[in-house]
Amino acid sequence: MSSLVPTTDAVAAARSRSYGAIVWRQLRRRPSAMISLGIIVLMALVAVIAPFIAGETPIRWVEKGEASWPVFRYLENLEYAGMLAFVLALLLPVTVRLVRGRAERAAASPLGRAVLIHAAICVAVTAALFVARTPERRYGFFLERASEAESAWFPLIPTPRHPGYESLAHRDESPTWQHPLGTDRLGQDIVLRILYGARTAMTIGFVAVGIGASIGVALGSISGYFGRRVDLLLMRLAEIVMFIPQIVLIIIILAVMPSWVPPLWAVVFVIGVTGWTGYYRYMRAELLRIRGEDYMTAARALGIPTWRLLFRHAVPNGMAPILVAATFGIAGAVFLEASLAFLNLVQTPSWGELLNDGRQHMSTWWAWGSAGAAIFITVLVYNLLGEAVRDAIDPKLKI
Amino acid sequence: MKTYILKRLLLMIPTLVGITMVVYFIVRLAPGDPIEAMIRNQSGNIDPKAMKESADKIRERLGLFEYHYLRDRLFGPEKSWTQKPKGAWFWIVDSTDKVASAAVGYVQWFSRLCVGNFGESLKFRTSGGSRNPLLLILERIPVTATLNIISEIIIFIVAIPVGFAAARYQGKWFDRASSFVLLAFWSIPSILAATVLIGYLGVGSGGLHWFPIGSLHSFGYEKFTWMQYLGDLFWHATLPVVCLTYGGLAYLAKMGRASLLENLRADYVRTARAKGLSEERVVYHHALRNSLLPMITTMVLAIPGLIGGSVIVERIFSIQGTGNLLVEASMAYDLALIMTETLLYGVLTLVFLLIGDILYAWADPRVRYE
Repeated sequence: MSSLVPTTDAVAAARSRSYGAIVWRQLRRRPSAMISLGIIVLMALVAVIAPFIAGETPIRWVEKGEASWPVFRYLENLEYAGMLAFVLALLLPVTVRLVRGRAERAAASPLGRAVLIHAAICVAVTAALFVARTPERRYGFFLERASEAESAWFPLIPTPRHPGYESLAHRDESPTWQHPLGTDRLGQDIVLRILYGARTAMTIGFVAVGIGASIGVALGSISGYFGRRVDLLLMRLAEIVMFIPQIVLIIIILAVMPSWVPPLWAVVFVIGVTGWTGYYRYMRAELLRIRGEDYMTAARALGIPTWRLLFRHAVPNGMAPILVAATFGIAGAVFLEASLAFLNLVQTPSWGELLNDGRQHMSTWWAWGSAGAAIFITVLVYNLLGEAVRDAIDPKLKI
Repeated sequence: MKTYILKRLLLMIPTLVGITMVVYFIVRLAPGDPIEAMIRNQSGNIDPKAMKESADKIRERLGLFEYHYLRDRLFGPEKSWTQKPKGAWFWIVDSTDKVASAAVGYVQWFSRLCVGNFGESLKFRTSGGSRNPLLLILERIPVTATLNIISEIIIFIVAIPVGFAAARYQGKWFDRASSFVLLAFWSIPSILAATVLIGYLGVGSGGLHWFPIGSLHSFGYEKFTWMQYLGDLFWHATLPVVCLTYGGLAYLAKMGRASLLENLRADYVRTARAKGLSEERVVYHHALRNSLLPMITTMVLAIPGLIGGSVIVERIFSIQGTGNLLVEASMAYDLALIMTETLLYGVLTLVFLLIGDILYAWADPRVRYE
């Protein structure tokens, strides 16, 4: 009799190998995935701390005998939110470990719970920042005052307006130790433009794909679970959105946006709002499958309310293709944004813009070369990671 | 099957109405105005009052106040329109006149469309009169279609053998080398490829000037013999076709590899081997045929892209195709042109989606549609 009852050790062993842990172990075995992930983390880090590496706001100065850190007053609330999101993403494994016990007792996914907790913290802190703080964002304000300060530490890489930096003497310089990637026609360091381009690419990648995937998951699960008329209606909606020419939308929406909205957010909005159809179709297909599974029938028999059935039992089990599609989706979004900037349809500090500037003067190979390499590496890294995640989850996934 | 096709065709109508409605409203409700865009294009930013005066003059000359007249005829004269209707379902319409005129404009556009009138393109108006947007698009389709047909043929011819060879010799050197190259191809952004190709092989400063850009024909191509004509065409199309090809090639080859691998592991292949069939026959006769199926569907679905799929490449090489036309039209708020192109693209995509599904059912007897 005792052999039929699992020992506590066996239960613990079975528990410790949750679905996420299995996928992660598979992923750990693939060097391409680990290298890609490392590069992504590095890029995110660089994007997040860009104002400390390159820019014209002093990091620390001594003014009238008092030392202070002007860059923290200059940073925008959303920049703080980005930094917080980065730190929270890195801390995710810690939270997973912390909530594992409670989550498993409640039969929930520890990873899902940790992500929700972190998202809530991020949103709350960002909201608090917007309420409590207004950044000192006047153009060149700190730069002017820095000349009167007794001493000032500037970021490592100067902008052309930086005091003491003769930008016009440094036009179109090939790479040197001072400018590792050379300078552009205005004497700007290419590293500076690459760093700020990385911010744009990261924002587009994560925010636009996040919006798209959220809409897709929400509508797809409803459509697949309820079927019938709801499904028919949402399917038509998805078709409509799928066939709206994105380029028309972006050009028109950029014209509509009031001037205080940065063009970047307009692009994020358009890519997010029109890019959900793929996720919608994957989620719908998954839900059509999951709807008939035994555990759903069991849960329904237990009298669990529908919304809980849907978002607690069905959706987490259908997230695998979404994860893979979102990873490929980031590559696609970065590429789309770079193309739009390259064609001068959007004015953002972007790798595409740098590539286009370099194209006018092919002899400045360092300019277009580093922009092209940045786009290529980003797209490659996300594609590699997407393939690795797909193989780790299920090599037969058709994405 | 017939009922299925009929059902699908009927479902297309609400989708098309939805697409055109969304695009129409977005373009109409944008603060920009085609006439003002035109004036700004010619004389830069002028002061708002002068802008309004000259825009009104041009509008009057072009007869663009029509939809106001139609609105009056449909919903009564201007005065009653501005008063809030009591308990009416269209209270939103009442709040801003712009929405109202857009709604009326859409109805008007749609009713004209039903009798085959696509409106007039404002951007490409000639001094002799207006241009039919459908004709404008039809004029440019040969360019876009040529580019895309050439590149699709190349993709199909190259990708399938590469993908299948990689699967056939899985893990051998060819598989490894090809998967490396394909991954690189898949990730190279076409804007980078175009920059390098134009800069070094094209007309960029310091380039080799081997290939022309900007058109698909040389001057005076009408007098060429057909051999010269074809040679000239291929010479002009080389760079854009390269840019259009490599990405899709990588995608299709990877798909072909995965597809053949899946079929080689299938039970029926084991059965075929157990029967004692030669390896060649098992692979080329049994597995290969089955793995061609999804690839053919992919290619069918790529056909609508012939019309709208190459915006970026056309823009970079300044080729006057339909993709470029769409960008120009949306920059000029050319409503009739945008609508016609959206509609054409939507119809084509929906029709080819249906054809793809039907072909799939025809090729694979297991697939049944109710």
